[in-house]
Amino acid sequence: MPVPLPSLLKTMLLLILLSGALLLVAVFFGLATGSSGLNPGELWTLIFRREQADPVTAAIIWQIRLPRVVLAAAAGATLALGGLVFQALLRNPLAEPYILGISGGAAVGALLGMMVGFASFPGVSLLAFAGSMATLLLVLSLAGGRHAPGKDTLLLGGVMMNAFCGALIMLLLALADNTRLRHALFWLMGDLSQIGREQLPLLLLLLPAMALVLLLARPLNLLLLGRESAAAMGVNVRAVSLTLLAVTSFMVGIVVSQAGLIGFVGLVVPHVFRLLVGPDHRLLIPACLLGGAAYLIACDLIARVLPAGEMPVGIVTALIGAPLFIFLLWKARP
Amino acid sequence: MKITLILLLLCSLWPAAADAQNPTREITDPTGRSVTLPATPRRVVSLAPGITEIIFALEREDILLGTTQFSNYPPAAQKITRIGSYVHPDLERIVALRPDLVLATRDGNPRRVIERLEALQIPVFAIDPRNLAEIKASLSALGTVLNAEAQAAALVADMETRLARLRQLTARIEHRPLVFFQVDAAPMVSVGEETFLHELIILAGGRNAAAGGPAYPRFGWEQILTLQPEVTIITSMAGGQSPEELRRAWEQWPQLKAVQNGRVHVVDADLFDRPTHRLLDGLEILARLIQPQIMAPVPAAAEPER
Repeated sequence: MPVPLPSLLKTMLLLILLSGALLLVAVFFGLATGSSGLNPGELWTLIFRREQADPVTAAIIWQIRLPRVVLAAAAGATLALGGLVFQALLRNPLAEPYILGISGGAAVGALLGMMVGFASFPGVSLLAFAGSMATLLLVLSLAGGRHAPGKDTLLLGGVMMNAFCGALIMLLLALADNTRLRHALFWLMGDLSQIGREQLPLLLLLLPAMALVLLLARPLNLLLLGRESAAAMGVNVRAVSLTLLAVTSFMVGIVVSQAGLIGFVGLVVPHVFRLLVGPDHRLLIPACLLGGAAYLIACDLIARVLPAGEMPVGIVTALIGAPLFIFLLWKARP
Repeated sequence: MKITLILLLLCSLWPAAADAQNPTREITDPTGRSVTLPATPRRVVSLAPGITEIIFALEREDILLGTTQFSNYPPAAQKITRIGSYVHPDLERIVALRPDLVLATRDGNPRRVIERLEALQIPVFAIDPRNLAEIKASLSALGTVLNAEAQAAALVADMETRLARLRQLTARIEHRPLVFFQVDAAPMVSVGEETFLHELIILAGGRNAAAGGPAYPRFGWEQILTLQPEVTIITSMAGGQSPEELRRAWEQWPQLKAVQNGRVHVVDADLFDRPTHRLLDGLEILARLIQPQIMAPVPAAAEPER
């Protein structure tokens, strides 16, 4: 089963080059297009002949499009990685990054913040993050105990937590007045348009977390063989699972607090790459990071150049994601 | 990721757009923010249909470059470039118009968009009118900002004349009917005391059936049957239904006084939603529906056609 190392390195290099190129193309179009038009030439001027650049185009590209592209990349990478890790740990192909109740907790926190009238950053973001961490701790402590977290308890706990939060969200929306309701709906559908440059440094927190997950690729592979086998091969199952659950959920919590709820990225991207390169997480993790980033940048690009006016990116990811997932199922049938 | 980080570093060094030739002045807007704006604005973007109406009334449409999706009045406003909707303006489209002034409203425009426009060094002057007095004040303020003081003063004077005439007409009424003002159909929503629509109902010679509750209280038929409003006013487009459908929903309840007396009316929402001088047109329509016997001297305006 284990692939010999030189061949693995070759595949890895090829995969990283390909998905990296995809990401670069997405970043380029993300910066060069927008609702005010297409200007690849100006992007060139801006980078290489700054003194000749038009200040308004510069502001549009650096201060409006760039933060969006960076957030889309960070969110796409995180959600794809989150989906990959949860699908492996819970051994459930339907597991997604919000499975532990993070989305519900974050939404309750964010809506509370909007209703009190907090600014979207840092007030609403902070409450969303606090909400997601609170539900996460609750679900983990429910399933954890002294043993390695049981996957069924985790799944059921997370699903119930999200359902309960869903009821709280409906309650809050029923109490909200009309204009706030519309802002809240945009947030619930995933919206990248609110990001400004001052929020970007926060996303740097995601980098060490991504590196940590990458380092745990091998134990993650062994966990796929089952807990007993993994333990027999020297994996500390409890420590590895808890670390992965906590780290990925923390990352997803940060992303949700900045971008709202974006569905299907964590479901579609890992499944596509699993079909392409097989189950080895040493390949899957970098592929999901780069591919997820490129995928969400592309979806956001569609969301902001639609002729009907900008719409929440979550609508685009779901419209593309659900049919794509069904197509994958249809292709994978025995 | 690495490339974007390098770009990020580059962009933090980038100076923001500024217009050096135009002298500026500092004005405090009605929401209490101090704004440094050009003494003679030349490129203005409006973030609400009501503000667009005011700019046209002040005859400054020559400098209006962009407005929101539903800015439909006056008809010429439909030709102005759209920058997204009132609740979800598109920052990139706004900035691409290179405005030297953005006019916003605190109620409705997302605060985040205002913050980001300011971060891009685009001055934002915001109004927040919640009653007729504040509407007059915001008209004057916009007159000052757009260098159209004379037009603003004329609009305010016209509002005051019409208000005074209405007050005079309603001063001698004996009966103030109970009015239910419906602004949304599913769920059914009315207007509480904090809204300017409440003020209009009182000025038009009625009593507000929804007074005493929150700003936009929700109602069910059970409550309405108990309240027994004498007059029902429904704004068109409530819940996306046609005027006939909106009226028919009430006519299912012949037990209601308003239905028995044929006093369920649908009015044009645009005359009642937007805090502008045109609210006086709305007010006069309302007075005609609530106090028909005293309103003979005031010329009639038609119900919406749609």
